[in-house]
Amino acid sequence: MSEFPSPQLAVIVIGAVMVAAVYLVTVLERLVGSVVAGTPWQLRHGLAFPLRAAALLLVQRRGTTERPDAAGWASAPALLTALAAVALAMVPLGARLAAADPKTGFVVFSAAIAFVMIAVYLHGWSSNSALALHGAYRYAAQALSFQIPFLLATLATALPARSLSIVDIVTAQQPLWNVVRQPLGLPLYLIAGLAVSFWGPLNLPDAADLAGGTSVQDSGVARLLWKGARAALLVAVAAMGAAAFLGGWWGPWLPGPIWTVLKTLILLLVLIAAGHLLPRVRIQRFVVVAWVVLIPLALANIFVSGALLLL
Amino acid sequence: MTDSFLVDAVFWLFAAGALVTAYRIFRTDSMVRAAFYLLASFAAVGGVIVLLGGEFLGMVLILMMAGEMLIMAIVMVMYMMNPAGLNPMWMVHQHRVAVAAGILAFAVLAAPAFLVDFPDQANREPATATAQLGEELLGNSMLVFETAGVALLATMVGAVAITSRRGRYGVADDGSEEPAMDPNDAEVA
Repeated sequence: MSEFPSPQLAVIVIGAVMVAAVYLVTVLERLVGSVVAGTPWQLRHGLAFPLRAAALLLVQRRGTTERPDAAGWASAPALLTALAAVALAMVPLGARLAAADPKTGFVVFSAAIAFVMIAVYLHGWSSNSALALHGAYRYAAQALSFQIPFLLATLATALPARSLSIVDIVTAQQPLWNVVRQPLGLPLYLIAGLAVSFWGPLNLPDAADLAGGTSVQDSGVARLLWKGARAALLVAVAAMGAAAFLGGWWGPWLPGPIWTVLKTLILLLVLIAAGHLLPRVRIQRFVVVAWVVLIPLALANIFVSGALLLL
Repeated sequence: MTDSFLVDAVFWLFAAGALVTAYRIFRTDSMVRAAFYLLASFAAVGGVIVLLGGEFLGMVLILMMAGEMLIMAIVMVMYMMNPAGLNPMWMVHQHRVAVAAGILAFAVLAAPAFLVDFPDQANREPATATAQLGEELLGNSMLVFETAGVALLATMVGAVAITSRRGRYGVADDGSEEPAMDPNDAEVA
């Protein structure tokens, strides 16, 4: 159960975590890029870069397009930010430290992930621009393909816990983490997670080959918000992966919340490194792989997990 | 500010939101906007169900509607000569009949709210609501749900078979080309 002193405090903490997460992702993105490329990375410049980039976007002049859907265009970044916040709020920091722990935490998290496709489609559609619309349709195809393996891989972790509450799912991993119990789960989750947060090799809707895709017409604060929301979503996916597969707060010596943060950081590094080490996948190939390989593997994973519990 | 006041305020927010967005579906001029309004309406109904104690059902409704409304928007746009769904159009035909049918349907659906004698004590969701739902789905009502499930699965298999690229008469898109990004660049076959 949630032991936060008050819901208001939980909201403030989630907001602060999101700001810190966006900063961290931006720093790590550049750092990992430098390491992979073998170029020098300067500490001072690297730490100041996110602030400078944000300041530049804050003062940038807003551009517009011919007859956009203004309301949709303005609300898409806000919607994605809110969804990242909901997904992040479902992840417990410690056994008695959860911003929110509804009995149906897994379903709430899944609903937030499902709505990401609405946010991305709205974002690409509303600016009335060909490349942005192209990106929106790419994400629609991508989302309808990753949704099932992503949710099945996460749902399998609810079986040993016999509960949809995320706190219960982490608690049930005390004897054995789900990454060992369900060896297929974490790889499936991470591949689909890259697609969820459209990052790295699966950044197809906002890809460079579409000159930025759904955000090609964005400028100023709207672009800043969209980039921030994407980074926060990536952190939410990493955090849920740490909770559902890597045992959340369980670990020796250190206090629980520190383990949660450490495990989230490890998964975040894996996801960010994938962006610099793997080539971008074509959308046709991803859709085929998702339906032909990922979904059967996810079904096998959930079947074996269930059967092992019944034995 | 008490908890029950807050719950009431949230309820009225969802209830009014569901009605306003449902009304906007028919007043907007774009298929895609109509789909987004319908989604907002469903999400607000999902919120009301959560407030009524159906936490699982409400959240599942919200979860399922996101994908379904997106598919609906895309399919509707595919059937129109309007790839972005941004060109203005009317969402209703035969306006007078549509208005009358809308008001009548709303009255019929809203009537139970006034005709039924609801219990007035607070409804507390049992701790095992989700488990009870699961037992119902795989217990007494199993035949109904399994029949519906098999029928839906058969429909899905049929739809995939019809749209399959490797059809009975060879590759479906044989000789076709992807449309050019700029209509002026498209080669005339």
